[in-house]
Amino acid sequence: MSNLKTPPGTKMVMRWSWREIWQGQLWPVMAALTLIIACVVALSALAIRVEKVMTDHGRAMMAGDLVFRSAAPTPELILAKAKQLNVTTSDQTRFQTMAFSGKRMQLVSVKAVQSSYPLRGDLILIGRDGAASSSVQPGQLWLAERLFSLLEVKIGDIVALGDAQLRVSGKIESEPELAYNPFRTMPSVFIHALDLDKTGAIQLGSRVEYRTFFRGSNGALEQIRKGYRLQAGERWISEENQGRTADLITKAKQYLSLTILMVILMAAVTLVLTCQHYSSSRTATVAMLKSMGASKSWLRLWLLSQVGLMFSMAIIFGSFIGLGLEVLLRLPLAAILPEQLPSYGWQPFVLGSAVALLIGLPALGIPLLRLLDTSAIAVLQAQAAKPSKKGLWLIAVPVIAFLLIYGANSLVWMVFAGLIVLFLLLASLSYLLLHFLSKAQWGAAMSLALSRIKRSAISSMMQLAALSGSLMLVAVIWLVRSDLLGDWQQTLPPDAPNVFAINIAPSEQQEYLKKLDEQQIQHSSAYPIIRGRLTQINGQDAKQYAAQEGNHINALQRELNFTWVEQLPDYNQVVAGQWSPQAGVSLEQELAQELGVGVGDKLGFSVNGQPFSAQVNSLRQVQWQSMKPNFYVIFSPDLVKDLPATWLVSFRINDSQLPFLNQLGRDYPTVSLLDFRTMGGKIQTILGQITWSLTVLAALGVISGVLLIFTLLRLSLHQRQREITLYRTLGASRKRISQTLWSEYGVMAIAAGLVAVVGAELIVSSLLKWGFALTPTLHLLMWLVLPILAMLIVFASLSSVIQQLLKPLK
Amino acid sequence: MSKSVIANEVELSILKDITFEVFSGETVAIIGTSGAGKSTLMTLLAGLDVVSSGEIELLGQSLSQLDDEQRAKIRSESIGFVFQNFLLIPSLTALENVTLPAILRGEGEDINKARRLLASVGLSGRETHLPSQLSGGEQQRVALARAFMTQPKILFADEPTGNLDEHTAENIIELLFAMNRDHGTTLVLITHDANLARRCERTLAIHAGELKES
Repeated sequence: MSNLKTPPGTKMVMRWSWREIWQGQLWPVMAALTLIIACVVALSALAIRVEKVMTDHGRAMMAGDLVFRSAAPTPELILAKAKQLNVTTSDQTRFQTMAFSGKRMQLVSVKAVQSSYPLRGDLILIGRDGAASSSVQPGQLWLAERLFSLLEVKIGDIVALGDAQLRVSGKIESEPELAYNPFRTMPSVFIHALDLDKTGAIQLGSRVEYRTFFRGSNGALEQIRKGYRLQAGERWISEENQGRTADLITKAKQYLSLTILMVILMAAVTLVLTCQHYSSSRTATVAMLKSMGASKSWLRLWLLSQVGLMFSMAIIFGSFIGLGLEVLLRLPLAAILPEQLPSYGWQPFVLGSAVALLIGLPALGIPLLRLLDTSAIAVLQAQAAKPSKKGLWLIAVPVIAFLLIYGANSLVWMVFAGLIVLFLLLASLSYLLLHFLSKAQWGAAMSLALSRIKRSAISSMMQLAALSGSLMLVAVIWLVRSDLLGDWQQTLPPDAPNVFAINIAPSEQQEYLKKLDEQQIQHSSAYPIIRGRLTQINGQDAKQYAAQEGNHINALQRELNFTWVEQLPDYNQVVAGQWSPQAGVSLEQELAQELGVGVGDKLGFSVNGQPFSAQVNSLRQVQWQSMKPNFYVIFSPDLVKDLPATWLVSFRINDSQLPFLNQLGRDYPTVSLLDFRTMGGKIQTILGQITWSLTVLAALGVISGVLLIFTLLRLSLHQRQREITLYRTLGASRKRISQTLWSEYGVMAIAAGLVAVVGAELIVSSLLKWGFALTPTLHLLMWLVLPILAMLIVFASLSSVIQQLLKPLK
Repeated sequence: MSKSVIANEVELSILKDITFEVFSGETVAIIGTSGAGKSTLMTLLAGLDVVSSGEIELLGQSLSQLDDEQRAKIRSESIGFVFQNFLLIPSLTALENVTLPAILRGEGEDINKARRLLASVGLSGRETHLPSQLSGGEQQRVALARAFMTQPKILFADEPTGNLDEHTAENIIELLFAMNRDHGTTLVLITHDANLARRCERTLAIHAGELKES
């Protein structure tokens, strides 16, 4: 190493670069770079972890990484492929049957599983004397807690399932798979797969569901999926399509990407401004070095050494700060994150450095290339520094990278295009606002301030657009979070129903509701349930019609639950057509889409072999996760009112009302009570976790934004030093200058705050409508908060530098 | 030679048909009022800018035949500058500022020589001070030491005392002439001060872009 020769003076140049960073004008550039890296490292590390945790959570709720569901045993082809790829499998057979105790009987959902079940998630079984176990062994019978009272049995009693007589081993405390469809949920019973034959329940033509659970690497699972062509009645279930939590997870992931993008954009704005400031402050130095004979290659090396050193330090500091930040961000999530956190690897560090490099290349490269072109004569004649258009091609570097990475992400493009249009709009709007203000009569300080802003129109507009742009991004991060959470809270409020009562006989319906009212239990309206099939679409066989559309529809393979109402439930939003309580049917919009039908199409149905038809009069958006009674098909009363029906009602009970629930079960033995308390709790927990994650991320985004605006304002104020000194030399009092500065930046803050609100409302509305499929609303509070926030940041920035700016003249 | 610039689409003649010679080891003052064209003349003589017409020969080389880089090479090898506002690098110490011209020439940091030069301008013990820690007079002394670091053949001094008080200015001028004498350098001094100009062997007066030798 000692033989390695460095050019003469290298040590001094490195010392110089070091001091430029700490004592020169380079530290704000490094601070912006460090912030970009720290934010990307922290957010992406957290995003990777949260995403993994969310994925794990989703998988835990389906008892495996991937599930194959079918009406026939899982094809050998799939199982062989899994074995070949070293993927663990576990089989489950599900069917409904009557369970008989000595005293009572009850319809139950039997799950015959292997001892390896579940491959993901927790199965907690509590046996005699509270002994817990997590797998089902041959000969065992585990019952849902409710069955103990419904069947009037205790541990050790004999229960008959079909032909099998099994001794009760204990209760199911917690199981990973929870059904969401109230019509298909019976109290669960676990037996071992080896005991399945003993029950004799599986006969030719029996309604049985087979599931195979897989656990393995994502790549292997993908291969298994791709290697098999689904037949009728078969389906793959993954955490992405398992329904209720999938929507939450998808939206949370989208929000994560959005926050990272916003923070990067804000830091990029600051980086561009700080780089320009650095470049202009070094024009005299470069001219002087050129006058002393510095060659371009020497200057290039000199600048490269500064930039290289600065980047290296920014990467080191940014990565460490990012790591620290990730730990801080995780603190509030400690209770809900697993103890063994998934590793995030090198990805956040590579991503952070790459992002900084991509933004830094044009942000630093363009002004520095122009700096190299500074003429030596500028050492004596500052005006001789000619503007250059060199290096504009560097802008292509991040643009191409952006295209490659986000080419297919419509949400990001929407934000990007919107930002460019908005940036231009904001600048024009700010100019008009200031123009309007300057027409009014003001005091001396305000007039001076307004004339200063108008005099340097372009730089003021740039500054205003940057300020309002950053404020706007801060507002967007916060508002999207609030609207997302608001939507989730609305669809699954803490007082959402947690019990469904189905099969209520028409003669019992009034009395049943009266009992609930007596206990002051909140309940939904009662809905009639009629079981039937969708048989025809526009005169054609429904299955054939859907097959033409290339769809295999599960809803056509089985009986559906129909209802009829005078008025559609207020929590169902009509998205097409209009509901009419006469001669019509309303469909859930996703089912309509799958079937390829719309408003005006004629559908044929069959109930108890009795055919009838109805015209689609409306399509509805249904929030399935709302835990309220929801239906794919709702008829107008005139069509089906006279058909035999049972009734359904949902209600919410708390733990203290559990005896009443059991009593209700005994009083109405034919009514099935579906207890969703456990599942509701689980969904609430996931919602809580995601809420926390989003709040912490949004807070980080807002803090970064505020800090960036603060830096931006301080820079802008430092650039005014020379001008302020001149005013002081010409005799302007400290008070007058101070008042002018407060007025100028105050006006800018209010203008930027107002313009930012307009921009934020536009962006948030677009994002909610097209990105998150939610209904946009106005955020009136933000119209007040944002200008105040802008004023506060201006106050903090100006207060921190004003004494220095107004220091006595020498 | 002549120099003109285009301002607001109008050609302005800054220097008109100027002809003169400066001989090796000579001390020449260029005087004139503000805006007369003194500094423009200096930028042309030192190869910082190029003439519009005519020719400047510096140390036997025709400057208009050379490109930017070649003129920069001549400056680094043979020319020293002292400016009115010192133009020291704020983040470098006095010693580092002095060694800078040698580094630009591709030579190493000759610390001992830089120390000697600083001592010769009376700044022993102030080597590690940053410009912000030095007075105006001290900063101009550092600039003087820096100018002599590479043993220039010609020294251009542009209003070297313009930013200093009378007493300090006097000291700096004494030092400038003494060092010039010791190093045998040709001195081109730009000033508007006739008294200062009289200390040079020859004075060239410039008025509205035209030159008169006195």
